[in-house]
Amino acid sequence: MNVIAKTYQKGEIPGVIAINASVCKGCDACKRHCPTGAITGMFGATHSIDVDLCLSCGQCLVNCPFGAPYETSDAVDTVISKLNDANVTVVGIIAPAVRVAIGEEFGMPAGSLVTGKLYGAMKKAGIEIFDNNFTADLTIMEEGSEFISRARHAVFGEKGENGEPIGPLPQFTSCCPAWVRFVETQYPSLIPHLSSAKSPQQMAGAVAKTYGAKVWGKPAEQIYTIGIMPCTAKKFEASRPEFKSAFEYQTHINKAKSETYADVDVVLTTRDLARLFKKMKIDLAKEQDYTPEILFAEYSGAGTIFGNTGGVMEAAVRTAYAVITGNELTDVEFKPVRGLKGVKSASVTLKDSKYDKEVTINLAVVHGIARNLKPVIDQVLAGTSPYHFIEVMNCPAGCINGGGQPIQKNGSSWIEAIRPWFAWK
Amino acid sequence: MHSKNMILKHPLSVRIFHYLLVISFVPLAVTGLILYFKPFSESTMNLTIRVHVIAGILLTFDALSFFMIGYKRVVLFLSRVFSISGNDFKWFAVLGGYPQKLLLHKKVPVPPMGKYNSGQKLFGVCVFIGGVILIFTGLALWAFPHNLPRGTVALLGHLHTIAAWALTLFLCVHIFLGIYMFDDFKAMFLHGKIPYEEAKEMAPLWVEKEIIPLPKN
Repeated sequence: MNVIAKTYQKGEIPGVIAINASVCKGCDACKRHCPTGAITGMFGATHSIDVDLCLSCGQCLVNCPFGAPYETSDAVDTVISKLNDANVTVVGIIAPAVRVAIGEEFGMPAGSLVTGKLYGAMKKAGIEIFDNNFTADLTIMEEGSEFISRARHAVFGEKGENGEPIGPLPQFTSCCPAWVRFVETQYPSLIPHLSSAKSPQQMAGAVAKTYGAKVWGKPAEQIYTIGIMPCTAKKFEASRPEFKSAFEYQTHINKAKSETYADVDVVLTTRDLARLFKKMKIDLAKEQDYTPEILFAEYSGAGTIFGNTGGVMEAAVRTAYAVITGNELTDVEFKPVRGLKGVKSASVTLKDSKYDKEVTINLAVVHGIARNLKPVIDQVLAGTSPYHFIEVMNCPAGCINGGGQPIQKNGSSWIEAIRPWFAWK
Repeated sequence: MHSKNMILKHPLSVRIFHYLLVISFVPLAVTGLILYFKPFSESTMNLTIRVHVIAGILLTFDALSFFMIGYKRVVLFLSRVFSISGNDFKWFAVLGGYPQKLLLHKKVPVPPMGKYNSGQKLFGVCVFIGGVILIFTGLALWAFPHNLPRGTVALLGHLHTIAAWALTLFLCVHIFLGIYMFDDFKAMFLHGKIPYEEAKEMAPLWVEKEIIPLPKN
């Protein structure tokens, strides 16, 4: 591991992915999937990862034919020890894309939706359920409201309610940690364009250790939050030192005294959770469906579609429509942002009920940033972007194809239709 | 000593194919072993794989062109190496008499063989199947490892390694016996002909059934 990493804050995991030199064939397949060119090593030589460039997205890991990349951070045994500690309440924050993938690890057909079984297996393991769809709904309300505020500022000169500065357009989504790190390390001038909303995972961690502390009747420091994500970069995100809102709330507002703790203590990928269940002799495929009686398992369809490319945008449009027009959408499906095209765009014309004027919002959805992002970014940098709101997800097809998902023998490279490459250097 | 009665065993087209095979497969085997064990620096490993790729392209063109130009010879070669008889089992039972000859300086009865003995036929089968596998898997591993299904590429990688090891190990035996049977070695690398007496001893069925004496000038 590169110990002189320059693009990390103190406490952050400096690169979640590494390459096993004894397994690597130097075939260069991984380089075609890396969004930042972080994989070094000439063709034919053992490859390694430049952690300063790496986004920890794990696309190299899920696409390497020989299984050379691996995760440097594994919290499965730590979680099991926490589950065995009677003083600790372990809370599992389940991302939307996990429930349609984890069944594969237990011999179920690809794409099986196993929400009820997953809840049941988590209950059996002793994990309290916090469905991340709940906070995906919170995220979209935050992100959608922020967009409306930026749009009204740009069109009508509207000021912030408390005089706070309002960010520029286009607004980029901010729930993909690989994308956020990409902007921070490659295009820092675009940071103001990122939505200031935290990702659903980080909102969930903060909620679990504040409001959740009352629900479970435990002090926040005895609540152990695990993000259960389709994404390896979420491990990096959870380690960011700024994500300690619950600690700050508890110490400053509630005057509680404790050592600093993170909003999300650890992250397990879908693969990790399957391994945890197997270690605990829980066969998810044989679990009965379970429905938890808790607010944190309530969510809308908007939260559900977050894990797909276009899902955040579709959810945002639904929210924006309701807020701007003052009416609920009758048909909530917004199909132009669906599908696997690299860059999808659409325009929506709405009547802003506050100003009694029609506004047209141009939207774009980008996934698979290794192939598809650059033209969109170049337009924004040049000030010629036609878009007002841009959703970006690092992985091709979105979180559903994240680096933490079960590894498919069929791979996922077809999503991007990468051209043949006669490797040489 | 040069016999007056010579038989053409390896025509020019076969010899050219074999020359190209030598100058492509030997570097492929050597660089393949280096790529497998990865002993050198990054730049040397890159140079190694470049040589591997170039030699692989040469091998592919050699095989394709021979297949197209010498199609009938390829068919004949395949029909010979894929034909099996009871003599082949008997030949393998004594390993062609080579260990006895080499280690004990003893001659044991060996069943009569055609143009190729059973060991050469097995080698021919391995070269044909292994060569096809190496060419196709090598091309896929070089140009498309990132856009074929990862499970498929992993399988191709294993097949490539297995075929390469099998042919490389077989090559060692082939080179040793090729040099041991020096007349055949000279025939393949020089003029294509072997002495009639040797052919009659080593490949009596071939001489008996296929060789036609040419009228003397």
